[in-house]
Amino acid sequence: MTESFPILLLVMAAAAFLCRVAGFTLMRMIPVSARLEAALRATPLAVMAGIAALAVQAGGLAEAIALGAVVGLTLVLRSDVAAALLGVVIVAALRWLGL
Amino acid sequence: MSHAPFTFAGFRRGARDGVPLALSIFAYGLGFGLVAAQAGFGVTKAVATSAAIYSGSAQLAAVNLLQTGEATLLALFAAILVINARYLLFGAALQPWLWAAGPVRSYGSLLLLGDANWLLTMRRISEGEEDRAYLAGTGTPIALGWLSGTALGAAAVSILPRPEALGLDLMLACFAAAMMAAMTRRRADLVPVVVGAGAALIIARVIGPAAAVIGAGLAGGAVAAAMHRRAE
Repeated sequence: MTESFPILLLVMAAAAFLCRVAGFTLMRMIPVSARLEAALRATPLAVMAGIAALAVQAGGLAEAIALGAVVGLTLVLRSDVAAALLGVVIVAALRWLGL
Repeated sequence: MSHAPFTFAGFRRGARDGVPLALSIFAYGLGFGLVAAQAGFGVTKAVATSAAIYSGSAQLAAVNLLQTGEATLLALFAAILVINARYLLFGAALQPWLWAAGPVRSYGSLLLLGDANWLLTMRRISEGEEDRAYLAGTGTPIALGWLSGTALGAAAVSILPRPEALGLDLMLACFAAAMMAAMTRRRADLVPVVVGAGAALIIARVIGPAAAVIGAGLAGGAVAAAMHRRAE
């Protein structure tokens, strides 16, 4: 690698920027049908479920218990922020206990 | 052209919602700063990298690649494209809502787009958020946390506790699970949840974790589109 750091930085920034704007720009050219809207509406739920599932796969029992508790706590407390923060406390405690 | 609302009140609402996530991003900034310092980046270079790429996973991959000493500019570019491919999906999902704010505000807001504030914003949109400044609002504390964490991590490496000990590595997953539970209101909403989780697990095994998140989103969206056609 002989390039100077500013050039490296520019290339990396360009790649990251391209990812941020390309999907957005592409969508501007596509008419949004009701079917496409349904797909876009379902996307965040699928991504959220995917992130949670990957965390359980990469972690283990402590992560599974904590994320299960988060789902339950969200429904009980009716606050997703409070439930998420409690989930962090729960996983820290479970790990401290050696789980 | 009349624009959708883009007000300071909406920005502030977003910023307030972004603060809890900014705390965990700060801890992850510390982690990246530490890795970058070990790879021979000083504070300035580490912070410049965090500002230019603004994506933890892509930055870690880039630093790893640079450390091998055999990275080409093309390899670096390609690695970031692949790891950040999920942002294509994030941007596409935001477009119908965000574009109503006009081009300058839309593209400006996209500079602050990340995993955490995309999730936050999509949740609020589903609840009827109209103020397009909300996205930039959520991104601002998160970006500040990421940059200040990077600086501190690169400057003072060895005295910091590992984020895992405090459970902070699970913060994004906890928020994802909580928002998922809050957004699942009808039985039909369970379909993308199950499809997304299943697709992520399979793709992570077969291809790798970088593809798993975008795969989950695409699979969930595809199934929803297919079911929509059947309902017509």
